[in-house]
Amino acid sequence: MARKAVIVGGGVTKFGVREATIFDLFQEAAKACSDDIPALKPSDVDGLIVCTTMAGRHSSALNTAPLVAHRLGIKPTSICIRLDTLCAGSNSGIIVAKGLVESGIAEVIMVTGAEKVYMPQRWETNYTQLATNDHDWDSAMGLGVPPPFFAMIAKMHMKRYGTTKEQMAHVSVANYNYGSTNPKAHFHPKTLTMEEALSARLIAAPFGLYDCCPLSDGGSAVIISSAERARELSDRPLVYIRGTGQHATHSMSAGWPGETLAEWPHLKRAAEVAYKNARVSPRDIDVAQTHDCFTISEIIEVEELGFCKKGEGGAYVASGAINIDGERPTNTDGGLLSHGHPFGASGARQSLELCKQLQGRAINQVKGAKIALTHNLSGTCAQHTVVIYGTEPVK
Amino acid sequence: MADLQTAKIVGTPALEGTYIAEMDIWPLECPEFNRNYQFYDNLREGRFTTTRCKKCGHTAFPPGVICPRCWSEELEWVDLPQRAKVVTFTETQAGAPLGFPLPLIMAWLNFGKDSPIKHLLGRIINCAEGELKDDDEVRLVVFEVPSHPIEVKRETKVCDRVFYAFERVK
Repeated sequence: MARKAVIVGGGVTKFGVREATIFDLFQEAAKACSDDIPALKPSDVDGLIVCTTMAGRHSSALNTAPLVAHRLGIKPTSICIRLDTLCAGSNSGIIVAKGLVESGIAEVIMVTGAEKVYMPQRWETNYTQLATNDHDWDSAMGLGVPPPFFAMIAKMHMKRYGTTKEQMAHVSVANYNYGSTNPKAHFHPKTLTMEEALSARLIAAPFGLYDCCPLSDGGSAVIISSAERARELSDRPLVYIRGTGQHATHSMSAGWPGETLAEWPHLKRAAEVAYKNARVSPRDIDVAQTHDCFTISEIIEVEELGFCKKGEGGAYVASGAINIDGERPTNTDGGLLSHGHPFGASGARQSLELCKQLQGRAINQVKGAKIALTHNLSGTCAQHTVVIYGTEPVK
Repeated sequence: MADLQTAKIVGTPALEGTYIAEMDIWPLECPEFNRNYQFYDNLREGRFTTTRCKKCGHTAFPPGVICPRCWSEELEWVDLPQRAKVVTFTETQAGAPLGFPLPLIMAWLNFGKDSPIKHLLGRIINCAEGELKDDDEVRLVVFEVPSHPIEVKRETKVCDRVFYAFERVK
């Protein structure tokens, strides 16, 4: 049988406003990863993929990967690179790692992501985000922090499909309540009621405070290896990376691929590729991690991922489908809304949660979960990344 | 044990008064740094333009030095519509990046079915909060933005710059 890549385990740091440098966070993430896989030694790791966007700007650390390798005591022999796809950094890293492991170039790869977002003066964080969009065009129009852009998406979805603020609040209530049980989450142990969600202060109409994920400092690390090496590193059930898809159509508002902002055909396409490679369909997904940077994002994502019909995402989330006793529990570790969002660290954080779900050891465990899906959007909804895991390999 | 040499300094005095391009909110527009400087020269003349491919006819935005459809370098400058319709918009009252006065209004603009560029994000200026409505018509506005220095041999040359936004047609 051909070589199969698996996710062995991993770790995340506490997310939040952290009194730490980015290298502290990479070290904490690696430590959490080694706590999760006690047999793992630095010398077992032959490849390192370091995912970060802000390093170089917020932490003067260009050519970051060798610096991180040194701090972690890893001496890579197959690959040692930095990767930046903003919010999808470490999920992109997992796609690369799967290819390297299955081709035989690497055996054991650590995919790690971290961001130090908060600076000594708060203005700098918003200002830096001008460099994360298309700087000379959209950013020069004032597009920096994401809420205004996603607020337009929400207004358009409400207008075209009748989505309501109450339906959006179902997403924040579900994800905050998942996050309240997860000590690593930015907002742990906060719970949320519908009443609180709907009466929160306005951020950018129609979004209140709980419709928007926070920016967070934090780090994460996962180990991707061949199935053979995974059996030596851990006794847990194997979790295979069954299929992946990544689709980029534009980096600028001029190239928006949808009929309006409420349609995300580029996500639909990324998902089609991943489903095909994984040989599963949307119906097969038992548990999902979708990129809930805003409540409206999760609503559009469940539509484009095929969990419900286009335009019915609001009704789908309000039906309880995303809750722990629902048909497809989603963002079971708190998601971006409660767990927080250190860009390059989010993908590995999501993937670790799905690894735990498929190994039967998650905090909010979905009974009998066998197939799981993770999704990131990145940039100003310019690119979509989908990775599908399973307890069995693609035959 | 080494003695501590004290120095009560706050900030980065080495950079005081210097221009830091990586912290600039506006593009580097001059020919020394940008092969598409023509876009900004055209803006100065009140024209909103981009590049069209002479080989395949594709109009790209933003302008470039190759055609992103066929990779040809044979391009020409063409005018874009200067009026558009507001599809939806957002008004920011707090948390705008430094350099953008409040309210910061951004709109999703539709340039019409005859335009080669269907949609763009546009900042709306000269507009009070609450004034803009869906389906309003807006038009191009060109304005000067801060100049920046560049080193040319031992001299410092100052590059003047312009940028654009949209305003409501009343």
